Amino acid sequence: MYRRDYTDMAAGAFLVLFGAGVTYTSVTYYPMGNVGRMGPGMFPAGLGVILAVFGVILGLQALRRPGEKPDIRVFSPFFVLAGIAAFAAVIVPFGLIPAIVAILVISSMADLKIRPVSLAISCLGMSLFAPFVFVFCLGLQLPLLRWPF
Amino acid sequence: MELFGNLAMGLGVALSLTNLFYCFLGALLGTIVGVIPGLGVLAAISMLFPLTFHLEPTTALIMLAGIWYGTTYGGSTASILLNLPGTPANAVTCLDGYPMAKQGRGGVALFMTTVASFFGASFGIILLTLFTPVIADYALRFGSAEYFALMLMGLVASSTVSEGSAIKGLAAVTIGIIFGLVGMDTQTATVRFSFGVLGLLEGVSLIALAMGIFGVAEIIMSVRRVRATDIDPESVKLKAIKPTRDDVRRSWFPMLRGATIGSFFGTLPGTGPSIAAFLSYAVEKRVSKTPERFGNGAIEGIMGPESANNAADQTAFIPTLSLGVPGSATMALMLGVLMIHGVAPGPNLISNQPELFWGLIMSFWVGNVILLLLNIPLIGLWVRMLTIPYHLLYPAVLMFICIGAYTSGFSPLNIWMVAAFGSIGFVMRIFRFPGAPLLLGFVLGPLMEEHFRRAMVLSRGDFAVFFERPISAVIMALTGLVLLWSVWSSESLRTRRKTRAAGRNGAGDKGSAADEETT
Repeated sequence: MYRRDYTDMAAGAFLVLFGAGVTYTSVTYYPMGNVGRMGPGMFPAGLGVILAVFGVILGLQALRRPGEKPDIRVFSPFFVLAGIAAFAAVIVPFGLIPAIVAILVISSMADLKIRPVSLAISCLGMSLFAPFVFVFCLGLQLPLLRWPF
Repeated sequence: MELFGNLAMGLGVALSLTNLFYCFLGALLGTIVGVIPGLGVLAAISMLFPLTFHLEPTTALIMLAGIWYGTTYGGSTASILLNLPGTPANAVTCLDGYPMAKQGRGGVALFMTTVASFFGASFGIILLTLFTPVIADYALRFGSAEYFALMLMGLVASSTVSEGSAIKGLAAVTIGIIFGLVGMDTQTATVRFSFGVLGLLEGVSLIALAMGIFGVAEIIMSVRRVRATDIDPESVKLKAIKPTRDDVRRSWFPMLRGATIGSFFGTLPGTGPSIAAFLSYAVEKRVSKTPERFGNGAIEGIMGPESANNAADQTAFIPTLSLGVPGSATMALMLGVLMIHGVAPGPNLISNQPELFWGLIMSFWVGNVILLLLNIPLIGLWVRMLTIPYHLLYPAVLMFICIGAYTSGFSPLNIWMVAAFGSIGFVMRIFRFPGAPLLLGFVLGPLMEEHFRRAMVLSRGDFAVFFERPISAVIMALTGLVLLWSVWSSESLRTRRKTRAAGRNGAGDKGSAADEETT
């Protein structure tokens, strides 16, 4: 427990910064036009201001109440996102099957327990199943294996 | 009898072999997704979204709609057998469904909720058939000011009425609109917020955004939390599903009341199936002569809500199809599918694309019959699905998300966007920002800007246009009322929490918790 809701204060501060950034970018880089004939900058500039106002309100509300400590975990998001990144990096140069194995192996580490047998079975199963669905049934042009060198 | 001609035409479309197959596939996948906790309907629809690119728009919509109402059918299974709601709309079903399962009446509960679901859905479809063309006809008179007002009301209502802090919902909507503006401005061809990334010229991908915020973020939050559970297979044996005469007698009026409540709240922006189910439960408890039975396996307590959430699932299509203004994130995804296929949503949809509209509606009947047939004999299979361990499930789901994102444009940029939105979704969950309003804002943002700018051009820059045209003025006034109500209700909630913290009685009472959601 926090004495003040610091989580929401931080969120409010972020909204203010983000809104200010949007408005600043719109005003500096895009033509504003006038109210009767708006340029591309007017609408986002307004939205940025509105967002910042919401941020201020959220921060003020947070000042008045105690808050709970947020439950932040590091490993689950890290391995899940790393798995996706690995898929993105592997699919074009190496093809579908290495990408499948990469995402399955890396993302299953988010469970913080390595089960080699079931992991190997699911890699094998998915390497057969996914090409069956996407390449065989849907007829998509996805190379299964590639060697870029 | 133009209506019957249209219905016959729609039935022909719905019963074509391709559409029948995809309707079945959608209903089946929806049931599976609904049964498995930790995988929501939005995640499922966005995951299977890329598959629909290669289909006709009508077929695509039929399949996605099948997933949408299929989850509500399936969700009740997890609620009854495990006390874990498969989807939020089935949460109240736990209150009386799980006690029924503990008394060995799980099979009866599953059978009867399937019947209630079918009844509610049928009720909703009839209203959808009757009212959508009428509303669309009326909406032909709407100009840009009216559309802007309608979208504003939809966004404000859906971000403030749903659970959590209203201000966070509003902020999420605004962020969603900002994401929606990325890319080429349609009126002046100026590129906005692309930061030199060529792939962003066409804007942020709806699929990547939905998959990241709902699929990936949900998985991150569920890893090491969702556990497969053991269930007593005896309680769901087929012989145990026959309801007693008393069960049937008690079920009629709750089903009817639930369907009415659900149909009404389904059409309103921001309410939808969850709120409809909660309200229906509260109503049943109030009208019952024996309210003490609720929470201990009263059959009325599952029939009303299950009928209500299915009716709401169907009537949610009324504003989406007649006005082109979706009331919930799922409907926004449906609208996104239409737009990706080049179909312009709006009041002209029914006259321009009669096959799509009537075919979709008739497919709802087909899909609900499929679900009825699918659910009752396969109860044992659904129960076994629940025992699939999550550590096998989530890497496979991630894999499907990545393949789907990649094949939606054959560009790795889409996968990187999924990762980016996955992190955004994760951070939003830490700070307790709702994801659904963001998606709704994202889809409606560009349309809103267009209508806003057009309305301002027509009025020569006079903001009063939104308050001078009568329809627009009424909608703006309603929007204001929703905002005022949300401020008032958050204040009263705070004082109530204070008094309760002081009193400390009745904590953990599930029945009263359900009551509070609705009052």
